[in-house]
Amino acid sequence: MNLDVITDHLDYFLVGAYPHGPLGGAALTLILSVLSALVSGVLGFILGIALAVTRGFAQTSLLLVLSFFRAIPVIMLIFWTYFMLPIVFGINVPGIATVVIALSLIGGAYLAHSVYAGIRSLRQGQWQAAAALGLRPWQVLRYVILPQALPIMTPSFINQWVALIKDTSLAYVIGVGELSFVATQVSNREMVYPTEIFLFVALLYYAICSTLEFFANRVARRYQQAT
Amino acid sequence: MLFDSLLAPKYLGWLLDGFVVTVVLSALTCASATALGFVLCLGRIARSPFWSLPVRFFLSLFRNTPLLVQLFFWYFGAAALMPESVLHWLNQPHHWRLPLFGVTWPPFEYVAGFFGLTLYTAAFIAEEFRAGVQGVPPGQARAALALGLRRYQVWLSVIMPQAVRISLPPLLGQYMNAVKNSSLTMAIGLAELSYASRQVETETFKTFQAFGIATLLYIGLIVLIELAGQWIQHRQPAH
Repeated sequence: MNLDVITDHLDYFLVGAYPHGPLGGAALTLILSVLSALVSGVLGFILGIALAVTRGFAQTSLLLVLSFFRAIPVIMLIFWTYFMLPIVFGINVPGIATVVIALSLIGGAYLAHSVYAGIRSLRQGQWQAAAALGLRPWQVLRYVILPQALPIMTPSFINQWVALIKDTSLAYVIGVGELSFVATQVSNREMVYPTEIFLFVALLYYAICSTLEFFANRVARRYQQAT
Repeated sequence: MLFDSLLAPKYLGWLLDGFVVTVVLSALTCASATALGFVLCLGRIARSPFWSLPVRFFLSLFRNTPLLVQLFFWYFGAAALMPESVLHWLNQPHHWRLPLFGVTWPPFEYVAGFFGLTLYTAAFIAEEFRAGVQGVPPGQARAALALGLRRYQVWLSVIMPQAVRISLPPLLGQYMNAVKNSSLTMAIGLAELSYASRQVETETFKTFQAFGIATLLYIGLIVLIELAGQWIQHRQPAH
């Protein structure tokens, strides 16, 4: 084991060329993760609620669109957004935006099903009782259904967000300078210590993912006790 | 400009070759990961921490790091750890003539890709099996013991059949993930479907056709697994 290759490039692993160049490395991985977690969470809620309130043709078409995003590999969707967005919109889309869009669509499609399943797990009587009390449909959702459904959904949200962190590594294929891209750069430049480099990077990802899991589980437990 | 022409047969051939590699790689991965996942599950639920602790560590490490980094590790990192003689052997072409057909040892990226995919997938399958075993009510085992069955009989004829039935849907989900995850091996130069679509795109600039065909082929594979799962579940007797 030669750890000099890690310490020599530690800054580059953590923040990329910053402050002399663009931000990269683990910091960019974190930014990509947080952005796609937020967007996928919002998308998941909107689409999941849409699944719960629609019926018939509208629901079937929505389910079909969602299963498309769940069926294709993340890399294929990154290719699609990377090559098609500039053609369709005629503008240059930065790599970071491309990745966040692709990851959010896939994450949102998975989360929509978790939200839908969480809402459906409540008894039908909850809707009827709330409606009988004179609440409007969106009030029923906001004050009666979602507060009960949220604790049921939290485990799938945590799993999906851990998966998102891992999937940000796929930004590598379109040359976004996040942690795994930076790792291959250093490995190609040094040529001699790939074992140390990829082991170190794997441990960095591991630290990020398990930290999220640890805190999310703690928050979830406290939340579940409170309700 | 997007739809103006179809792909030449040569490029369709590339995509088809890539598709065959994806199918074979995924099938081999699923088979070996199921076997390994089963063994890991046994270790994970073992009472002795001598077995369960290392397995827990392995599962947590492999589930919480990106597959891409794991593939890089096996492709670049493991090669650096191997003795010179092994590396030399791996880099040479090998061919064995068997009575019915010949076997060719694949290039190193195929070995590393298969190895990495198998370990990653097995870590997820092991947890699905564990959930299946835990889904069997504990009273079942106690009742079977009370009937005079031995421990191994309880496992073989009472717990396992029920656990397999419970973990079948998530297991198929993991098989779908294995198909999708096989696309990551393009990063270590394995010429599977995503790699081929990227290559066709670079050569022809027919973005829509190249990615469109690849996407349809992936969806076809996933739908096939889905249908197979529904068929198996309908065939199972209701209980």
